[in-house]
Amino acid sequence: MCGIIGYIGSQDALPIVQTGLQNLDYRGYDSAGVALDSGSIEVYKREGKIDNLLDVVPEASDANCGIGHTRWSTHGPPSNANSHPHTDCTGRIAVVHNGIIENYDELKAELSGHTFTSGTDTEVIPHLLEDELDGDTSPVEAINAVVDRLDGSYAFVVTIAGTDAILAAREDSPLVIGHADDGAYLASDVTAFLGHTRDVSYLEDGDVAVLTDGDVEIHRGGCPVEPTVETIDWEADAAEKGGYEHYMLKEIHEQPQALRQTISGRLDTDIGDVDLNLNIPEEYLQSLEEVQFVACGTSYYAGEYAARLFEKIADVRATVSLASEYMFDGGRDPSRTLTIAVTQSGETADTLSAIRTAAEAGARTLAVTNTLGSTVTREVDDSMYIRAGPEIGVAATKTFASQVITLAMLSVYTGKRCGSLSGGRASTLLENMRAVPGAIQQVLDREQQVKAVAEEYADSDAFFFIGRDLGYPVALEGALKLKEISYDHAEGFASGELKHGPLALVTETTPVLAVLTEGSRSEKTLNNVKEVQARGAPVIVASSMENEKFVDELFKVPSAGLFEPLVANVYWQLFAYHVADSKGRPIDKPRNLAKSVTVE
Amino acid sequence: MKAVVLAAGEGRRLQPLTSRRPKPMIPVANKPVLEYVVEAVAEAGIEEVVLVVGYKRERIQTYFENGDKWDIEITYAIQDAQLGTGHAVQQVQSLVDNEFLVLNGDRIIDADLVEEVRETESRETPATISVTRVEPAQEYGITVTDDDGLVRIDEKPTGESQSTVINAGVYRFTDTIFEAIEKCNRSPDGEVCLPSAINHLATETTVDIVKYHGRWLDVTYPWDLLFVNDTIVTAHEAPENGQVAESATVTDRVHIGEGTAIHANATVKRGTSLGPNVTVGTNAVVSNAVVMQDATIDDGAVVRDCIVDENVTIGPNATVAGGTATVAVEETVHTDVTLGGVIGANTRLGGGAVISPGTVIGDDVTVRDGTTVGGQIESNATIYRG
Repeated sequence: MCGIIGYIGSQDALPIVQTGLQNLDYRGYDSAGVALDSGSIEVYKREGKIDNLLDVVPEASDANCGIGHTRWSTHGPPSNANSHPHTDCTGRIAVVHNGIIENYDELKAELSGHTFTSGTDTEVIPHLLEDELDGDTSPVEAINAVVDRLDGSYAFVVTIAGTDAILAAREDSPLVIGHADDGAYLASDVTAFLGHTRDVSYLEDGDVAVLTDGDVEIHRGGCPVEPTVETIDWEADAAEKGGYEHYMLKEIHEQPQALRQTISGRLDTDIGDVDLNLNIPEEYLQSLEEVQFVACGTSYYAGEYAARLFEKIADVRATVSLASEYMFDGGRDPSRTLTIAVTQSGETADTLSAIRTAAEAGARTLAVTNTLGSTVTREVDDSMYIRAGPEIGVAATKTFASQVITLAMLSVYTGKRCGSLSGGRASTLLENMRAVPGAIQQVLDREQQVKAVAEEYADSDAFFFIGRDLGYPVALEGALKLKEISYDHAEGFASGELKHGPLALVTETTPVLAVLTEGSRSEKTLNNVKEVQARGAPVIVASSMENEKFVDELFKVPSAGLFEPLVANVYWQLFAYHVADSKGRPIDKPRNLAKSVTVE
Repeated sequence: MKAVVLAAGEGRRLQPLTSRRPKPMIPVANKPVLEYVVEAVAEAGIEEVVLVVGYKRERIQTYFENGDKWDIEITYAIQDAQLGTGHAVQQVQSLVDNEFLVLNGDRIIDADLVEEVRETESRETPATISVTRVEPAQEYGITVTDDDGLVRIDEKPTGESQSTVINAGVYRFTDTIFEAIEKCNRSPDGEVCLPSAINHLATETTVDIVKYHGRWLDVTYPWDLLFVNDTIVTAHEAPENGQVAESATVTDRVHIGEGTAIHANATVKRGTSLGPNVTVGTNAVVSNAVVMQDATIDDGAVVRDCIVDENVTIGPNATVAGGTATVAVEETVHTDVTLGGVIGANTRLGGGAVISPGTVIGDDVTVRDGTTVGGQIESNATIYRG
């Protein structure tokens, strides 16, 4: 998704902005640009990779102020003209922007005297500023006046020739400031400047910031406030590929360790309870009528898995909504509803919007995320971290596993406090959770087997993933992984639904991948496996049962109770990876996709 | 100067411990042997390290990543075929400058050794090898030296050898080594080992010697791991996130990994390492043992002088009595070794199973309840009560 970097200080800005853009590269983008302010503004921008941009920027510049942007297109296709920064008619003002200006059409109509050179929503901002600055308005007043006219979600950063300052405004899209001796930094994501400073301040919605050489001012509600400085304690490049060809494969292999971190210190098998550092009142949990999960993509499937666990373990009604479809309606009692947002980045715009809807309706809200200090954690009543470590590959892998286990712990927490879960059953569940890292390691140890099977079936016409109960979300997730990174046609179906339609798609050239484990009603799915086999489809099975004779390829799933489908999912991750790799796909940056989707 | 660490070896004599990890990843006090080497290199002030990896390289890459944790930059060179240490060094030719260090990744050493070898760069000779005294020495390369430096290395000499001075496995090379690797003798199956290339170099020029007297520990056979682990685990370190029941007893010289739980009345005695996410059940006794990650030792089990590989389950009241035994490895019989047993990864010992001293159980074995097991058990076997 779009990335922003800005710097003003005593150093040359160009190399800092360039490195910042390269650090943001992982988010996925389709064009990039920079603006340098050395008394007058120079703008360079190109469609495509950052390398295309580097071909046109000067080798050196003595500008001490610069801003940069990586764009992931929403309004207007990728092109040089649509790339950021955008300028006003005079070329004095340059703007980069993340998010969407919803009323840009109206604003554009009001700016009739101005010449627009792009198809973007962003371009209204420099022109609005141009009008506002036409007088003796100060830059901060001008920004505030412009912000008043914008509807939508945005973070934008401005440099104005002759002001020796970078200005920024935030509404629903993240921005973080870095404080250093050699100047001030600004970015959409702290990784952009982590090589320079670890002292940061996060902007809040409605904030306007002014960065000058040696000073950072933040205006909140019209008054200047002192920035709250936090120190980042993780490594900027903890996320390099370390000998792996792709981040995705590295992250698949990190799952045992990630899960050990997820559960570390949180399970007490003796008394059969979890220590989650949450303070949700017991009376509230006992009065709960419904737990709602809101999420997108892979996190949504983690929610599907978790909803089934909540009903089994905590004996409370659980529903899952795609965040973009979420509404609070249907005669629910908000005071007896807990809405859980599941988002790796904590910045997913659809999920943020859904959780706000829930909060407005009066429901209690809880976030399950991987990212400390992310926007979602500042908007909800309670937060839980999945502790999976940084995930760079656009296709989520280890965070899915950590999300499911985190939510499983939360279901035990809820079940114990509602009185619906016995200590003995809780202990068994916790022991099963403990078994997951070792079980996944066993799957990883069989990677060569999966690779051989993936290569054998790589050229199939389509791939169908089936499963029941907890195996169903895994079927959906397995299909999503494959389509994301290999671009093959893949679908996940509830096993029982095959005969109600999709079976018509099944042929000798459409392998069917099935989950046959505990928690997935495998004896029933086995009947569906026989149905597809009778139609000649190759059957690939991830199974903890003894059923070799029914299948073409068998991947063994070690025992892990209700988490066996989660372990089986690692086979589908490896399968998707090796199908995509055999086709030479850009696995870490699939076409058209971005890691964290900060637009609705 | 860059350091090249050879970590592609399998370590067949350590089976089943090396069926899922390369030898350098065997944990000692919850750190892979390779980490001790990497730490020594980093402490000696070297900032760039090339790890030559091959067999099960994912384990190494996932653990060491890009070296941030040690404040060094790690890159990887991949040796696809196991064609000896000389072949391994050939893989880094394009990655190093004209002078570099080479270290074995499977011996625990101190930073002093790395520093001393590095300092010989001022002597302007084409190579340095380090030597140390070890007993018994016949498993290693015996070094023969004179006043000018190295004469030759005799690899694992047969017959009575008087010398206990061996090749310590830390070298300084210049790019002349690549030519020597090309020219030196290969074994019949095409392997080229580094000592053979060094011998070739020694016939043509001077190879410097560094004598080393510090810590030098190798795990050749499974029971060496118990000894080496015991040597390294020092003070009892309280686990940060582990849970030790109040009534449990944990003596000094025990290492406990993160997230490990020790339940009521369990006893964990000196010389033991418990890896991360391990469970020690109520009333269980663990002594002089290496228990790797994700393993479970159930209530009442006794585990002595034993290596428990990852994700093993030792059932309730199962007994690994410990003590000395006679063990055969690759058709060589070793008598009087302290080894209660080796339990391969993912193996499940049923309740009340009894493991005789010296038993080596492979991976994924199922031992049913109440069974007594001895000798060598192949991977994937199921053992019933007879």
